[in-house]
Amino acid sequence: MTQMRLHLTFPEDRVREPIVYEICKNFPVVVNIRRADISDDSGWMELEMDGEVADLERTVAYLRDRGVVVAPLEKSILEG
Amino acid sequence: MNRPSAPHRESDATRGETVANASAGSKIKGLKCRECGRLYPAVAMHICEFCFGPLEVDYDYEAIAGRLSRRSIEEGPKSLWRYHELLPVTGPPSVGLHAGMTPLVHAKRLGKLLGLDNLYLKNDTVNHPTLSFKDRVVAVAMTRARELGFDTVACASTGNLANSVSAHAASVGMKCFVFIPHDLEAGKILGNLIYHPTVVAVRGNYDDVNRLCSEIGGEYPWAFVNINIRPYYAEGSKSLAFETAEQLGWRVPDQVVVPIASGSLLTKIWKGFQEFSKLGIVPANPTLRVNGAQAEGCSPVYRAFVSGKNHLVPVKPNTIAKSLAIGNPADGFYSLDVVFKSKGAIAAATDPEIVEGMKLLAETEGIFAETAGGVTVASLKKLCEEGRIGRSDLTVAYITGNGLKTMEALTGALPDPVSIDASLSSFRKNVNPSN
Repeated sequence: MTQMRLHLTFPEDRVREPIVYEICKNFPVVVNIRRADISDDSGWMELEMDGEVADLERTVAYLRDRGVVVAPLEKSILEG
Repeated sequence: MNRPSAPHRESDATRGETVANASAGSKIKGLKCRECGRLYPAVAMHICEFCFGPLEVDYDYEAIAGRLSRRSIEEGPKSLWRYHELLPVTGPPSVGLHAGMTPLVHAKRLGKLLGLDNLYLKNDTVNHPTLSFKDRVVAVAMTRARELGFDTVACASTGNLANSVSAHAASVGMKCFVFIPHDLEAGKILGNLIYHPTVVAVRGNYDDVNRLCSEIGGEYPWAFVNINIRPYYAEGSKSLAFETAEQLGWRVPDQVVVPIASGSLLTKIWKGFQEFSKLGIVPANPTLRVNGAQAEGCSPVYRAFVSGKNHLVPVKPNTIAKSLAIGNPADGFYSLDVVFKSKGAIAAATDPEIVEGMKLLAETEGIFAETAGGVTVASLKKLCEEGRIGRSDLTVAYITGNGLKTMEALTGALPDPVSIDASLSSFRKNVNPSN
């Protein structure tokens, strides 16, 4: 088992969708939400996600396909 | 994909603990979560294990107040280390001894053009050794990293940060790893290779590089300056505020204009002024307004400001101001908070406006800034036009990097030289002496 710690940003058109429910249902990963701020039109969430590497990668790809911005907790590390 | 394994976490924690304990009773109390306030020892970590909030250095201001005065500062070295008491290192500085104390220029000609009587430019284009403000944060980060026992330093960067980390590592013989996207232009990295770091070109997009570096930062016992050393690294930016206040004759300005990339610089300049006021080094200026400057092609903080929201929507950067091109800024929320709290504003500049800003700065003040400087000047101009900065306001704009680093931005933007034959007649014919 491996753990990823992620910062997710939800765009306005996705913020009302049960995306965390979907990933738990569709992939064998354990999600633990640690911090979040969701409003009517935007939102972010920081979570731990445990699972096999391949499953975690597929979950990240799924989230990105759904329009969620997936970043490490540190967000943009690459600086100018 | 693995997160830090337990042995590595322990070794990182242990690496700092001895020093943290040894420094008990000194100026650093430890690290503190910016969100939940939970306390940690002053080791190499950056995120609260409880709530995932960012960690900040927690100072013992009472102890510092007993030792810090204008006089003690003035007697210090002519570098940012004269503010050692308010920087997160416990021993004497060991890296970047000449960083900081860059000129504060009274920009009369640019000020006249913008309708400002009291405009100053903090000129970090001449910072030592790599000509950008990153020399400040890296000097502090690497001094702290050495205190914590690291022998290897790392960063992920496409420009100034890589330059500074590589140069400072070379100067003290530390091992150095620089991560870049594989498709970065060769010219961008040449300035680093001369210092002989290990440059790792990662196949993937910027998001992939970010994720990989986060994982490497957790996995290897390295001082990753803007990951596990970030709480110390970021504090180096406060020196810009300290120097500004001292160079203004121990005053806090009315307005500052600061470029926003990760957002850390802006928040730390604000914090620097707050600390000086709190410790009685300068009189407080409750009307200080902190203004931000972003490139329109990468402006998540500006967009949030304009919409009046405190949620930032990450963007894909598309701007010539590469040193500010951070689409998902770590301190974006906090910088926005400072701008709102101080009743400041944020402006954004298009690419052509950035080039015009660079030209304007060079033509009026003789300062050749990189594109980020163009963003700052173009945004300053907009803030003046919007009436957000008044004629008599004591205003300081931060110019953070040298133009020699971003020459390509000027391609086609400047007139050709006047070409003449080697004769006086050709000179007379082609050159207007009254220009």
